[in-house]
Amino acid sequence: MNFQRVLTVAHKDLVEVVRNKQAMFPMLVIPVGLAVMIPFGIIVMGSDPTMPTSAFGLSGLIDQLPKGILPPDLSESQKMVYAFTVYFMAPVFLLIPSMSATVIGSSSFVGEKERRTIEGLLYTPVTDRELVLAKIIASLVPAIVITWGSFGAYVFIVDTFASPVIGEHYFPTANWYALMFLVVPLLAFLTVALIVAVSGRATSSQGAQGVSFLVVMPMILLTMGQTTGIMLFSTTVALVFAAVLVVVDVVVFYAVAGIFNRERILTKLL
Amino acid sequence: MTSTVSPVTPVIENTHELVISATDLSKRFGSYQAISHVSMQVRRGQAFGLLGPNGAGKTTTVRLLNHVISPDNGEVLLFGEKMTAHRADRLRTRIGVQTDTNVYENLTARENLMFWARLYGLASRERKARVDEVLDIMGLAHRARAQAGSFSKGMRQKLAVGRAILHRPELLFLDEPTTGLDPQASAELISHLEDMVHSFNTTLVMCTHQLAGLADLCKDVGFLVGGRMEASGPVEKLVAERWPGHHVRISLGAESDELLSRARTHLQDESAGISCEIKADRTLHLELPDESFTEGVIASLVAAQFPIRSVVPVTYSIKDLYFDIASTTGEVAA
Repeated sequence: MNFQRVLTVAHKDLVEVVRNKQAMFPMLVIPVGLAVMIPFGIIVMGSDPTMPTSAFGLSGLIDQLPKGILPPDLSESQKMVYAFTVYFMAPVFLLIPSMSATVIGSSSFVGEKERRTIEGLLYTPVTDRELVLAKIIASLVPAIVITWGSFGAYVFIVDTFASPVIGEHYFPTANWYALMFLVVPLLAFLTVALIVAVSGRATSSQGAQGVSFLVVMPMILLTMGQTTGIMLFSTTVALVFAAVLVVVDVVVFYAVAGIFNRERILTKLL
Repeated sequence: MTSTVSPVTPVIENTHELVISATDLSKRFGSYQAISHVSMQVRRGQAFGLLGPNGAGKTTTVRLLNHVISPDNGEVLLFGEKMTAHRADRLRTRIGVQTDTNVYENLTARENLMFWARLYGLASRERKARVDEVLDIMGLAHRARAQAGSFSKGMRQKLAVGRAILHRPELLFLDEPTTGLDPQASAELISHLEDMVHSFNTTLVMCTHQLAGLADLCKDVGFLVGGRMEASGPVEKLVAERWPGHHVRISLGAESDELLSRARTHLQDESAGISCEIKADRTLHLELPDESFTEGVIASLVAAQFPIRSVVPVTYSIKDLYFDIASTTGEVAA
């Protein structure tokens, strides 16, 4: 594999995305909503002792947490803030890269087909695997950057508004590092690979986005459920989960590159 | 567009090497037979015109030759190597292809070319110099920093051709490269392509149905009609085979049907081996065994007191051949 060619195609795609304000807008709005606005509202209102936790439906969830997982000596409102910021927001950060990647990834191939630039690219020395990897990277990088940026904003919000409620700087916890720097990139790679595969066989960007959503969402929901559990256990469990994702990513990448079909792209979709 | 000849004198080797050797290619899309048993050979340094009306299969043939699509039957050898999926990326580094005018609209002209230069592995210093050179050759230097989305069709065409020649390919495929260009730009592009072929021994395959000026560049052609290669070879040879002998057109002083008929009868009676036909423009069209017969024919007509207004040799061009093949195969030329 020629990584110069991979990075060249990925860089070209990234430049195109950055210059496309229509694509950038939804990629930035969704994370701001999920990682900034929602937690801000819940923390501020949840820390108000006059607001019962049941108002947010969180009291039931807190009751279901394993005993001893929350720090002792926390009041009800402190428990709610701690559980929400440390455990319940974790799956949201798996949703952000997937949603961001859908915007770019779903148009990775079909977008080039619609703009009729794909044929020129297919005549170049770029191999199928290089092209698929480049398209994955081009969607993966902004998805991860946006997720990490959202995480930075989330840390700031938790530190500014939740830490005073708890009485100490408690965030991010070790599990969050494993989540953000291992699970998020690996899971994002998996979802982007599937979206790129859909894009390679779709006939329009809208169709690709719709099918991508259907393909990715069950997997995301399943993983989100598992992640909540992983966040409740040790860092070791998170690392094992990441290791499993590495294997799955490699298998899926080779499968996606294997089903990539230049002829189909040229003859069925133009 | 400025046509510049590089001061570097290339070393031309093995001019007889087959760069393209395609044998018995066939390709079907569903019930549509796009290509039927097409064979073609192109030698190093040859400029080959792949001609045919719209839908004849020119683009499909280029795709097959580049292994972007796979043939149902037959094989392709490029540079003496069988074109397969495993060899395609390596062989494609030696090939430049322009099949359309679609460039990356959000990138500038320079960025489009730099992207292509990186894909073809041009080294950093060479990349910049070569991009500048191609921008200059294509007459796009003054718009190098403008996004390609703002370009006219002709400018996009220049950019698309520019990226195909950027890495100095040994084999260059161009699909209607002069479409959308003004006459001056078109002539300059053809001139530059001639430089590439003659000075750098570049092998050129040019798909077109625009025949003006083609014969100056492409001495060899293939006629694709309905997915079949109806004729292939040097233009002169194909013309000579289709219209053997020497042809002249004779206008008489009067254009009466009776006079023309008498002259035709006279010539057929007097001279063996001559065919004579009255054309719609009321001239006599003679097919002679060779040029030396012309003098005798004129003398015979003068002796019989036919009033001769003019005798004009008839030369057949690639355009005549194109229309002749298209009409005999029942295809309407584009």
